[in-house]
Amino acid sequence: MGKKYSSNSDGNLIQAAEYVEKPESQLKEMWETLRQNKAAVVGLFIICFLVLIALSVWVSGLLGKQILPYDPNHSDMTKSFIWPNAEHWFGTDQLGRDLFSRILDGTKISLFVGVAAVSISLSTGVLLGSIAGYRGGRTDAIIMRVMDMMLAIPSILLAIAFMAALGKGIDKAVIAIGLVSIPEYARIVRASILSVKENDYVQAAKVIGSSDSRIIMKHILPNIISLIVVRATLGISTAVLDTAALGFLGLGVQPPFAEWGDMLGRARGFIFNAPYTLIFPGIAITMTVLAFNLLGDGLRDALDPKSRIK
Amino acid sequence: MLNYILKRILMLIPVLIGVSIIVFLIMRVFSPDPAPIVLGQHATQLATEAWRQANGLNDPVYLQYFNFITGALTGDLGTSYYTKMPVSKEIFARFPATIELALVAIVLASFFGILIGVISAVKKNSIFDNIGMLIALIGVSMPIFWLGILLIILFSGTLHWLPSNGRIDPMLQPVAVTGFYMIDSLIAGDMDAFTDTLQHLVLPATALAMYSMAIITRMTRSSMLDTLQQDYIRTARAKGISEGRVIRKHALRNGLIPIVTVIGLLLGSLLGGAVLTETVFSWPGIGAYTVTCILKSDFPVVQGVVLLIATIFVMVNLIVDVIYAFLDPRIKYSKVKG
Amino acid sequence: MRKMKKILALALAVAVVGVTMTGCGKPAATDTKPAATDTKPQATDTLIYAQGAEPRGLDPALVDDGESAKVMINIYDGLLQYNKDSTKVEPSLAKSWEVSPDGLSYTFHLQEGVKFHDGTDFNAEAVKVNIDRQIPPLVTADMAYGSFVYGSVKDVQVVDKNTVKVNLTAPSTPFLANLAMVMSAPIVSPKALTDSKNNVNQAPVGTGPYKFVKWSKDENIILVRNDEYWGTKALTKNVIFKFIKDNSARVVALNNGEADMIDGIDATVVKQITDGGNKIFQAPGMNVNYMAYNTSKAPFNDAKARKAVSQAINVPELVKSLYQGYSEPANSVLPTFMEGYDKSIAQVSYDAAAAATAIKAAGLTKVHMIAYTNPRPYNAATGQTLAEAIQGYLSKVGVTVTIDSYDWTTYKEKIKAGDYDIAFYGWIGDNGDPDNFMYLLSHEDPTMNIARYKNDEFNKLIAKGLETPAGAERNAIYTQMEKVAAADAAWLPISHAQTLCAYRPNITNFYFHMTGITPLVGVGKK
Repeated sequence: MGKKYSSNSDGNLIQAAEYVEKPESQLKEMWETLRQNKAAVVGLFIICFLVLIALSVWVSGLLGKQILPYDPNHSDMTKSFIWPNAEHWFGTDQLGRDLFSRILDGTKISLFVGVAAVSISLSTGVLLGSIAGYRGGRTDAIIMRVMDMMLAIPSILLAIAFMAALGKGIDKAVIAIGLVSIPEYARIVRASILSVKENDYVQAAKVIGSSDSRIIMKHILPNIISLIVVRATLGISTAVLDTAALGFLGLGVQPPFAEWGDMLGRARGFIFNAPYTLIFPGIAITMTVLAFNLLGDGLRDALDPKSRIK
Repeated sequence: MLNYILKRILMLIPVLIGVSIIVFLIMRVFSPDPAPIVLGQHATQLATEAWRQANGLNDPVYLQYFNFITGALTGDLGTSYYTKMPVSKEIFARFPATIELALVAIVLASFFGILIGVISAVKKNSIFDNIGMLIALIGVSMPIFWLGILLIILFSGTLHWLPSNGRIDPMLQPVAVTGFYMIDSLIAGDMDAFTDTLQHLVLPATALAMYSMAIITRMTRSSMLDTLQQDYIRTARAKGISEGRVIRKHALRNGLIPIVTVIGLLLGSLLGGAVLTETVFSWPGIGAYTVTCILKSDFPVVQGVVLLIATIFVMVNLIVDVIYAFLDPRIKYSKVKG
Repeated sequence: MRKMKKILALALAVAVVGVTMTGCGKPAATDTKPAATDTKPQATDTLIYAQGAEPRGLDPALVDDGESAKVMINIYDGLLQYNKDSTKVEPSLAKSWEVSPDGLSYTFHLQEGVKFHDGTDFNAEAVKVNIDRQIPPLVTADMAYGSFVYGSVKDVQVVDKNTVKVNLTAPSTPFLANLAMVMSAPIVSPKALTDSKNNVNQAPVGTGPYKFVKWSKDENIILVRNDEYWGTKALTKNVIFKFIKDNSARVVALNNGEADMIDGIDATVVKQITDGGNKIFQAPGMNVNYMAYNTSKAPFNDAKARKAVSQAINVPELVKSLYQGYSEPANSVLPTFMEGYDKSIAQVSYDAAAAATAIKAAGLTKVHMIAYTNPRPYNAATGQTLAEAIQGYLSKVGVTVTIDSYDWTTYKEKIKAGDYDIAFYGWIGDNGDPDNFMYLLSHEDPTMNIARYKNDEFNKLIAKGLETPAGAERNAIYTQMEKVAAADAAWLPISHAQTLCAYRPNITNFYFHMTGITPLVGVGKK
């Protein structure tokens, strides 16, 4: 939803892109400013922590070792709905699975879907946006009309329809969520390219006969990279929320995988006898999204020359 | 200006045709067969086949699309497979509920968003500012459905202050004139119904508004901060005008321009948020209904709803752009962008 | 600067509305708490029933769902009806009836002087119109139950104004039971059928104790008492059916006084309901929730493998934790109150050690399950959750289970495709006749017979059961079928779901019939 706003503020982005300097110094300066932003550092810290959990769960899973207190997917009907206690910190669910282990395990899925979906929308969006912006004319018109079509359907409805058609699964959730946010990136990239295209060094490169793809890769993209980093960071938070929403509606991952939104959707039926099943996954989602928002905001401030002057 | 608007309206046509093709492909080509759910537990393969034949689902897709689009152009969106009611009737029976909810939500979000944003900007770095920004941050980070359930547990389940579901006590339901119960109850002069409608709106509108409110708060704050640094504000202050007057008369006026745009854009996106809010609050609107219909493969309904929402969305975008151009003389639309 | 004024005015308007909103919310809200019923004058003569989904429609020929049935039973009467406590049939619009010795023609003597809600007369002609629209040549592809209820009907003859004769193509013992169903069988006003172009989904007209008033989509259906009702008139004047999808939300609505009666809840909320001073009504359910092996391919084309897996699952324990005691563990396909059920029927019993040995011997290590993600009337916990629970049992005996779960529509397609070792399903009884359950295992259509079970001995018993008149001899045939099915273990029956309803303490005579319907005619409110 927030993406609707940002995708429409091409004007601001063009402005921002005009301040773009040399790529290396730009990223470096961003980092310097970021370090002074307490909120962003907290966000970054939480993200590192989540990534660490996700990686260790994933790697230990690959090695066949169990580092979680319990097997997150093992159901045991004799243990259903145990309230949080010393043995089960977050309690157990209807099928007697340890919620603490499931929430930690869920980190893996949420982060993976978030990052993978953004990679899809980012790469496709950047590609389409660059072509549209650089080529202009008819190509531009066609690509951007298709983007407009996708933007005209609320992204959550589009994602639901994709999932209903494709079926449940992590891979499918990645595709559905990735597809629906392509237009956003395409529009940002196109707008930025329009603004740097006329710069002297791009014109110079054209004169010396560089190929189009080389000009885009070597001269244009590096100049908008920080902008893309900001969008991608905020994009991950949206993707995590979308994943949770799909899971909540019963359209997320295949069982028995732990996914936070799916856990919330199931917990909804037990708000009286087991409210804790509703609380912890909600906190996990909010914390993850919050972390990416903090970092994304910090990055944006770091990028925004006006706030740098302050 | 007029040319720009005309051109934009013309550009809507290919967009809407494209939308109809996208939704048609997703539904008719990739979605599961609706027949088993229409025919229920006695759906044998024989019955299924007969039903598909009778509903034109065995025709080639292009022919199905042609039939759909010619129907849509004459205002006939087809009949719901599941309820056998005309799609347009199904949609318009639920549409006012969604619009009413979205409008109340945007009003709430704008009011509190601007209020908190302005105070935060004026008292920058104060405790109020910090709390305000924290709320705004959590607002954009919380899943809307989780917030909704928490609100129900607290205000309906535990405190019994507010109703948990529906639009109104059925005993008080006003005669439908506009379909907006706030207006209908006033037309009927029934204050009980009006209050009851408002009570039913509080929780879902709050849940739906939270995200937009957070965005508006942050936009207002940064826009106001910008404005407060402008030369004319300094001049006004230097002239000895009281701080309150400076903020109200000078800063707020200019700072609000970008906010208006954001509010307009959020209104369109609220339709997406309504999907989840309506599901949580059993709100009889179009969002939750569409999800149900997608899962039932009720093709005609999904096609109709998506087309309608897309139309509204592009229209709202157009209006926002026009207002923006109107408000900000610096923007010239001689060249159409995008 | 003009523009700025406008914006300011807008902001002000926003502020005013906002303040009014919050202002209204609070004081008014506090008075809903203690006396929700007192503020509304009509509340005492209105029953509010909250159900889990919106009915599909109110034309008995065009719908198939339980939610529609709950409303329709109050608007329509059929020729026959079920006994209050069983599925035995009793007279309703038909005072009495005779069956010819060859079982091929049924003569019904109708109640006299009955009028439809639209003032037209109920008579033999009306019965003929209602049956004719659901048999060839008039029947349409979307009449979900026409072929089930009237499939054996050859034609209908009007003998005189109050006598009607129905001729069958072959003897069918379940036919009378069919006529008591709420799907297809209720009698609709022929005038209404003409007026509404053969679709009274939105404008039902029957002879029942309540008349249809209004339907606000996704909100409620309002009915009002039929003061000219031919039978015992309803106690309460108005009935409102509300639709609240989420189970917990229905409980909140009940405890909050927003509903008088709710259904479709599960055991986890019972305490919450009774703590709120409300009452629970537990009705047996005419359904079965089962797990089916795909008997058409390896490994489960071998009965030994099927038995070994069934043996590994502790059904009573599973049912107890999953449904918290509000579903009975199933020993049979038939619910225990039905004709044909016998105590001697039993499935493979739980023995993990024996199962582990047998599974090892069979070399079974991997199983592919498919399941549905939405709650069904016979399985409130969803097929997916049930599959996950069974996954836990099978992992203990060394079988790795992969589960693919789908929403109901897609699931039906996957069932048709047949790419599974184990699938989950259930059945909601239609007419209370044992054939209605047992015939699933003999059905040729794989979407009905998902185990793809074929057994000639069993099929012969099915044919025999259809012809044999009701009675002990017929019941024995169905008991025999149960035993054949249990020995072959094509299904593992899991549970018979009970319907759990709750109502406020001032509601009297609340009752929910085992066929899933709620006649509200005798329900009062103090």
